[in-house]
Amino acid sequence: MRALARLARAVAAASIAGGALFLGGCGGHEARTLRMRTALDEGDSKAALAAVNEELEVKSSKELPTEVVGDNALLVLDRASIQQSILAFDDSKRDFQAADKAIDMLDLSKSSLDAIGTWVFSDSAGKYIAPPHEKLLINALNMLNYLETGDLSGAKVEARRLSVMTRYMRDVLKESDNGMLALGGVLAGFAFEKSGDTDEALRYYDEALAFGAYPALAPAVRELLARGNYSSPRLTALAQSTGDTPADPDTGDVLIVIGHGRVPHKIAERVPIGLALTLAAGHVHGPDVAAANKLAAQGLVTWINFPRLAPGQGSYATPSAQLDGRYVELSQVADVSREVRRAWERIEGRIIASAITRMIARYAAGSAVGAVGSAAGGKNGDLIGTLLSLFTQAALTAADTPDTRSWETLPARVVFGRVRLPAGRHTVAVGARGWSRREEFVVQKGAFKVVSLMALN
Amino acid sequence: MSRLFRNVARLATPLALVGVVALGALAVGCGGREVVRGSQEPSIDNAAMSTGLDKEDIQRMLHENLNNLRAAPIMNQWRTQNPQATVAIFPFANTTSEHIDSQLDAILSETESWLIESQVVKLISRERQNAMIAEVEGGRSGVFNQASVPKYGRQLGVKYYVTGKVQAADERSEDARRVQYFMFMQVIEVETSAIVWQHKAYVTKMVR
Repeated sequence: MRALARLARAVAAASIAGGALFLGGCGGHEARTLRMRTALDEGDSKAALAAVNEELEVKSSKELPTEVVGDNALLVLDRASIQQSILAFDDSKRDFQAADKAIDMLDLSKSSLDAIGTWVFSDSAGKYIAPPHEKLLINALNMLNYLETGDLSGAKVEARRLSVMTRYMRDVLKESDNGMLALGGVLAGFAFEKSGDTDEALRYYDEALAFGAYPALAPAVRELLARGNYSSPRLTALAQSTGDTPADPDTGDVLIVIGHGRVPHKIAERVPIGLALTLAAGHVHGPDVAAANKLAAQGLVTWINFPRLAPGQGSYATPSAQLDGRYVELSQVADVSREVRRAWERIEGRIIASAITRMIARYAAGSAVGAVGSAAGGKNGDLIGTLLSLFTQAALTAADTPDTRSWETLPARVVFGRVRLPAGRHTVAVGARGWSRREEFVVQKGAFKVVSLMALN
Repeated sequence: MSRLFRNVARLATPLALVGVVALGALAVGCGGREVVRGSQEPSIDNAAMSTGLDKEDIQRMLHENLNNLRAAPIMNQWRTQNPQATVAIFPFANTTSEHIDSQLDAILSETESWLIESQVVKLISRERQNAMIAEVEGGRSGVFNQASVPKYGRQLGVKYYVTGKVQAADERSEDARRVQYFMFMQVIEVETSAIVWQHKAYVTKMVR
């Protein structure tokens, strides 16, 4: 019998050790990206890239993981943004494209195992469903890469992909007011305008104007309206806001895009069960509320783990742009942080509700295993049953990692400016939050130059 | 002692249950990868991997178009012409929602090979074309511009050029994405810009 007691103690010890090991090993997505975020906060993009590469288990930033699936797709997205911030546009393009396909495949895949994993183990066991703003920004930000490298054909491919997603969101998800469409519209309009596709350009500019008035677009829109067939009250109003000065054929266009700060990422948080029930009111079924209240009353489970949004950073910075020493007027075209919060508010209740449901399921599973253990344990059955019940609950609790997955390297806000310059050599200087880029460039007659800066700290 | 063993044996059931739960929690895919050669396992070329264009799609669309060209009046004219007509091949425009530029390059090369093997025209080398495009486009650093194609043709002194475009209808539903490709090929007379031959082929790809 002493041997049996020793066995029980061993099981208990193993459960505690196993649980601790498990907890230490699985900190969720935010733990995987902590080093990357810290490096970005310090303004060290190369260290941030190295941290992501380590998580992806690749040797260089030019290498993609063997499989861009699951959480790796998100890490590749993070890396794409960082590559863009260090002006490695070709590497950034490749990462965005790989992540775009992977996120699309995840979205289209159906797996009952995901659903089971979500309801039994953890939200993070399910497949990652990118919120609409992330899906739109993959194409919008990659379009910026193509424009930076002067590849209009590639930029238009991204614009078309953006349109497919926009139609899907409007027709299937019934969402047509996502603020990220403004950034997509401005960039896509520019790509089509510079390719000579007048009506397509006007259509995209019109989409952007639904979210704000962008005076920098007025001269271009006026000229496009004069030779195109597409028109709208928004476009006409914008065109009328600018003078009648005819376009100078000896000029070229410069488009400046600056992103600054970082969107709030998700963090794991423990909240008292009472507060969780209040937050998830309306999302938790009556029997589950009763069961949760009963557990809380018994003092058995008083806290639950679930993700929350961390504060964002850098939203209120003042980016600047100068062309040949003269300041360029910049307009905000995307408040990404606001969109992230909006998307989170829509699903927060559901997330907490599923965490509560899992907590109840864990208790039930532990009780069931405990009952079997009690029956099998003979004279010391109660002790063994209790230990096994605790072990089961510990294992399941450890597995219940709050789902902190999100695209963390998105800029908090994006601004843009557009200026027409005489053909010839010019200097551009852009800056935000201590990050800067200065470049000399030559603009040809009728040609264009796109200059971007992503200050992701 | 035997009672202890019996107790342990009885404990095996709940322990196994706990083990299954723990293993489930740890459910992580572990599997080795292997590299397969197409010549050893031809079936690997059959599977569609994405909504992009693969070798099978390219060959299917090209064969359909080139078989049509083989029987077209312009081909008969070329067969009887002496000296042989000078022809250039210009890049195909990509107006799809997929980055298929490298596939379009493959289409150009395949078309080039087909025309050379047909031995009915004199084909201008792509290197010479690129140098001339850079000359025509000047400051735009030799970036091919579809709108300048007739100008390229005149500069190269060719009588005809072969070109085309790939368009696509891309649709997305809750659980599927479908891309329908339309590949148009054309032979255009430089002097008149008349389309002397055109044919189209279709391919549809879907992820569901």
